[in-house]
Amino acid sequence: MWNATGVHRLLHLLRSAATSPTRNARTSVVLGRLLGLAFVVCLGTGLYSHWLQEPLPWMTFATRPVWLYQVTQGVHVTVGIACVPLLLGKLHAVFPQLFQWPPVRTPLQLLERASIALFVASSILQLVTGLLNTYQWYPWPFPFRQVHFALSFVIVGSLVVHVGVKLPLIVRYWRARDSYDAEGRFVEPDAALDPARADFAAEVELGRRRATGRAPDPGHEARGLVGRLQRWIDRDPDEVDEVPAGRRAPDAAAVAGREAATARRERVSRRVFFAAVGAATGGVVLLTGGQSFTPLVPFNAFGARVRGVGPNDLPINRTAAAARVLETAMDPEWRLTVANGATSRAFSADDLLAATQVDAALPISCVEGWSQTGHWRGVRLVDLVDSVGGVPEGGRLRITSLEERGGYRVTEMGREYAVDPLTLVALELNGERLSIDHGYPARVIAPGRPGVLQTKWLSTIEVLS
Amino acid sequence: MTVPTVPTSVPGGRALRVARLLLVLVGVAGIVLGAVVLVQDVSPTRYGGLLLWLAASAVLHDAVLAPVVVAVSLLVRRRGRRVPLGALAIAQVGVVVGVVLTLVVVPEIHAQRLGPRNDTVLPLDYGLHLAVAWAVVVAATTVAVAGYLVVRARRQKRRPSTDQA
Repeated sequence: MWNATGVHRLLHLLRSAATSPTRNARTSVVLGRLLGLAFVVCLGTGLYSHWLQEPLPWMTFATRPVWLYQVTQGVHVTVGIACVPLLLGKLHAVFPQLFQWPPVRTPLQLLERASIALFVASSILQLVTGLLNTYQWYPWPFPFRQVHFALSFVIVGSLVVHVGVKLPLIVRYWRARDSYDAEGRFVEPDAALDPARADFAAEVELGRRRATGRAPDPGHEARGLVGRLQRWIDRDPDEVDEVPAGRRAPDAAAVAGREAATARRERVSRRVFFAAVGAATGGVVLLTGGQSFTPLVPFNAFGARVRGVGPNDLPINRTAAAARVLETAMDPEWRLTVANGATSRAFSADDLLAATQVDAALPISCVEGWSQTGHWRGVRLVDLVDSVGGVPEGGRLRITSLEERGGYRVTEMGREYAVDPLTLVALELNGERLSIDHGYPARVIAPGRPGVLQTKWLSTIEVLS
Repeated sequence: MTVPTVPTSVPGGRALRVARLLLVLVGVAGIVLGAVVLVQDVSPTRYGGLLLWLAASAVLHDAVLAPVVVAVSLLVRRRGRRVPLGALAIAQVGVVVGVVLTLVVVPEIHAQRLGPRNDTVLPLDYGLHLAVAWAVVVAATTVAVAGYLVVRARRQKRRPSTDQA
């Protein structure tokens, strides 16, 4: 019994079951536009964050406004979280397409369906890994950052393929007034635009007529469990209640009344759908965005970080214990070495505290999306580097931490940050000496850079030409 | 059942055809770039795990989450006929908001149970907050439904013949 007809009937049943006024090409276009925009915003902000950490040789970056990275990365993570309801809504709108019959018509369509499978799978995985990264939970067997980066190209690539494949439908349903008739019922695409959809719409229409007794067609009744389920789904309960199918023909006025009621239900269903997606999107943004954006701080119910919570009233990513610097950082013999070729100077903590102190209000902005402005006090980095000859044009700094290992133990800093008067070797945070978890005895704080590059537990600063 | 014949050409002018071709080519280039980046940055020993997680993502949605939504909406479609349409609509919005919040927050609660890397990660009582969020959603939905029913009843009193909902 498990032959092609059986599979066809099953797929048809699944499509009928999944049919809903909220699942059509117009709702797909509306949500697709929003989701596409959100994905592009995430790609742009993500690339910016990536290049800040791994710049191409010719790249220099803006150091003002000081909150630039705070905003781009806050947008990256918050828009990413907003994509959860948007993606669920989009997948909801296209779900019946999963049960097309025949599953594949042409070799080109095989590629299309394969690219959609890749698109859906990588989009879901990207949102899951991104969300879990905001609280540093990595239950998967692959590296987060590299896979998140590679998948971003796969996702945007398959998005562009998808737009190319669906372009005629997207153009057809771009405007609401072209998508619905005078009663507000969706105008199905013709067969030339979407053969699978047109076939299915015709079949559903036949099924509906059979069910309401208007065009009895017993020859095509499906048998067995699939048939019974299909009739249960197809048959309009109102019709069943009022007019037993096939016993007598309903009068024209009753049919018109029921069709008006159906059109109204369809309009309400669509409004419910968009209201639900909109409210859910607003809800997740409102209740998590407080980790990144000041106006949302009072509503931060679900953010992975809370501003003001942590040593020196500021959250931390990596503790001194995790970095294994508890002893080296507390060593009274600690020195900050600033070197330029053969010239080298060593500064003790007291030397640094005795030098000219500068105050700067700069945000710590992490790749995980959270950020908080701290009030830092310390020595200008440019003053320290000038004491060994300064950074030449086209030069940069190599900054090393006391950490024994870790991806950011040694980092490089472009000249634009090194000579910026706001870039500090910070000794105090929020009115107190730096906590050891914030990088005691001294750390870097520069405007507009990711937190992972604001090196804690400083050891050496070298000028590279 | 009549099945319309499959058209051999896709509609649209020359410009549309060129645009589609360009988009598909650019998109394929993007996918290839992603694959190259993956091969460069990620050890081949991790590919199996990645493929498994990709497949699981699609299956989890298509075979678990979506069918549950379909089943629930089928039941609502059949059993909800006696409930005024507007009231059902408001309730559905409330349920969707609550479920989406739950989906986003439950992994967070689980990660908190496993133990965050330091005290400043996941510092809130997310379970309590989720319960409060549900309470707010239920309260707001109840108020909205009650308001809707009152307005509807008044309208029906005034114009008993016109309102069908």
